[in-house]
Amino acid sequence: MIAPFHSGRRAALKQFISASTLAMVASSGLLLPQRVLAHWPSDAFTADTVEDVLLALMGQSEIIENSDVVFTVGKPTNLVTDGKSVTVEVASRLENIERIAILVDNNPNPLVMSFDLMGSVMMPLKSRIEIIAGESQVIAVIRADGKLYKTTRNVRIYVGGNP
Amino acid sequence: MSMLNQDRLRATLRANHTEVRILLIHPMTSGRINGALSEAGLHFIQDIRCWRNEDEMLAIKCGTATAENPYFAFRLREGQLGDKIKVRWVDNIGQKGGVHALVK
Repeated sequence: MIAPFHSGRRAALKQFISASTLAMVASSGLLLPQRVLAHWPSDAFTADTVEDVLLALMGQSEIIENSDVVFTVGKPTNLVTDGKSVTVEVASRLENIERIAILVDNNPNPLVMSFDLMGSVMMPLKSRIEIIAGESQVIAVIRADGKLYKTTRNVRIYVGGNP
Repeated sequence: MSMLNQDRLRATLRANHTEVRILLIHPMTSGRINGALSEAGLHFIQDIRCWRNEDEMLAIKCGTATAENPYFAFRLREGQLGDKIKVRWVDNIGQKGGVHALVK
């Protein structure tokens, strides 16, 4: 019979197919997130402390407290009951703003969002964020001309979001 | 999940700037419910980019603490009627979307 020869070929074929399938799955599974995440700074978004976020996102954590950064949280300001959707607005007279980050210190991951400005964008910049229940500091950090500026707002949230 | 595109964008010309308002329709779930985390529930927009005509103006990186149906409003220097404002987004599982509008 030619069975031994066939079984050998079967085995080899099977091995080849499973190996190539594995390779395909691995490559698609690995390549896709890398491509998608290429520009998303995951180390900054998964950092646990405000300092770590700033180091990861801005490359430094030395900050100047600055009144040129105008920052409002909530409507009415600082009196927020629902943490699922909190309006934040950042305005500033600073020139050459490169990047703006919004953080909430008590959220599981402090970094909420970051904006990269290219030239023509003007303040104010408005968005909505989620804040965990309790008392938190909402922080706006602006990098302009290589320096960091920040302002903070204290908010008390009665119904928390799930950030 | 329907991928019907409901994203909205308004661009209005003002005295010396263009006002842009964006509303993206997305669940933005962190997978966290009362502190307990499940990776399966993680579904959120990560990257948003905005163009005026052919020039990129703004890149927004979002974390899970962005509110449901992300909303953004900002201003662009100068501008004129008929400028094309375009937004593209991609979320953590590779779904994409976008919307564009002309400045009115």
